[in-house]
Amino acid sequence: MKTTGLVLTAAFFFLAAVCLCGSAIAQTQAGVSEASGSSSVASGASSDDPFTQDFDEDDYDDAADFHRDEKVTIADPLEPFNRAMGAFNDRMYFWVLKPVALGYNAVVPEPARISAKNFFDNLGFPARFLSCLLQTDFSGAATEAGRFAINTVWGLGGLLDPAGSEKLNLEKQDVDLGQTLGVYGVGHGFYLVWPVYGPSSPRDTLTNIGDHFLYPPSYIDPWYAWFAVWSYEKVNAASFHIGDYEAIKSAAIDPYVAIRDGYIQYRMKSVKARKEKSLLFRN
Amino acid sequence: MKKCFICLSLAAALVLSASAFAAGPMATAESTVGRVLEVLRNPDFKGPEAKKAKTEKLRVIYKDMFDEIEFSRRTLARNWNRFSPAERQEFVMLFEQVLEKAYLDKILDYSDEKIVFYQENMHSDKQAEILSKIVTSSKEIPIFYRMILKDGKWKVYDVVVENVSLVQNYRTQFNDILANNTPEQLLETLRKKVKGH
Repeated sequence: MKTTGLVLTAAFFFLAAVCLCGSAIAQTQAGVSEASGSSSVASGASSDDPFTQDFDEDDYDDAADFHRDEKVTIADPLEPFNRAMGAFNDRMYFWVLKPVALGYNAVVPEPARISAKNFFDNLGFPARFLSCLLQTDFSGAATEAGRFAINTVWGLGGLLDPAGSEKLNLEKQDVDLGQTLGVYGVGHGFYLVWPVYGPSSPRDTLTNIGDHFLYPPSYIDPWYAWFAVWSYEKVNAASFHIGDYEAIKSAAIDPYVAIRDGYIQYRMKSVKARKEKSLLFRN
Repeated sequence: MKKCFICLSLAAALVLSASAFAAGPMATAESTVGRVLEVLRNPDFKGPEAKKAKTEKLRVIYKDMFDEIEFSRRTLARNWNRFSPAERQEFVMLFEQVLEKAYLDKILDYSDEKIVFYQENMHSDKQAEILSKIVTSSKEIPIFYRMILKDGKWKVYDVVVENVSLVQNYRTQFNDILANNTPEQLLETLRKKVKGH
């Protein structure tokens, strides 16, 4: 009994000592860092003031290495044309697409809009499946085939996305044909802005053309019926992104350059991510 | 009796390890974002005064979270050297205001979307990338925080939204502008941008 008490007191003191030590150490550390902070300020307002310190790439050696892949630029020989197309798309967005999408948003509840999106996504299966195969990403191709079968049969023709649920976890593959060329090592060429389709390049234009032929709704017969479906799809897709373009535009100093750079960064990362999944083209 | 002693030494060990454990980059980012959400969800802020009050609170948190000088230096890169110290100081201040104007409304728009932090990539002892995503009913938005350890504290120096690095994006824009303009002209553009809207 007595010994228990003794041990307890000893332990208490031990704990107390540990705590004290801990805080003392912390305090001295704080003291040291404070001291070093003040001494550095004192030793030279000129050398350690961040505003007088020059930028030296050598300081950023690790950073440059670690983000080397980001040093991307793209040739833009058609800049005047591209800027004009950008301005045209800007008008199209503010005068046509946005008002229509806002009205559509107000009338159609989100679950219905998500179903419509799922439906069109499901029809994009042929382009994604072929892209996965061409990229030698066979597990991606299998995932796409499984998604298409499950969502078409149990997802009411693609309106629902049971394959993407947490249990099945068959996620839609982010693939297209332009990106497939990127995986093969083909570069962008130069920057190109299309009316309506927006930022692109000769390489990525292949996406638009290939998508068109591999996309069942493209074969809808009277052209105006096709145009109606195509417009509906654009409006539905836009209904989820109202405000994004405005945000990008207002954050940018030069929106044209900001969007060009954002597009190039985005495409480059997606090619890189796909390369890692490719059987033949992995670095 | 012996058991008791073991328990106590275990407790002591726990206290020791706890004091030795400093907040890592992921824990830092997560707790800061948690503080932001607390402000946004706070029901005490209502009415027209709410936006101002929230903005004030958020500003304090952001100052703590970001290394704004590092952010500016990396954005200007070699162009930083063309700016005089006074110009640099003004640039940092203006750039901060531009970003605040651009993103504040987006942040204040937040309505209970889920934010998940799921990975911490250490690139060195002093640099890390924290992966997080915002999950809404129709989409997932990946947001990565690039952080640097400075004076014992992890600070954000770049944010990557949907695979687009902000620092890189602004660097391209400033490069483009500074190719044909002086730093003073760039500052003037920024001053106008801050005043406008």
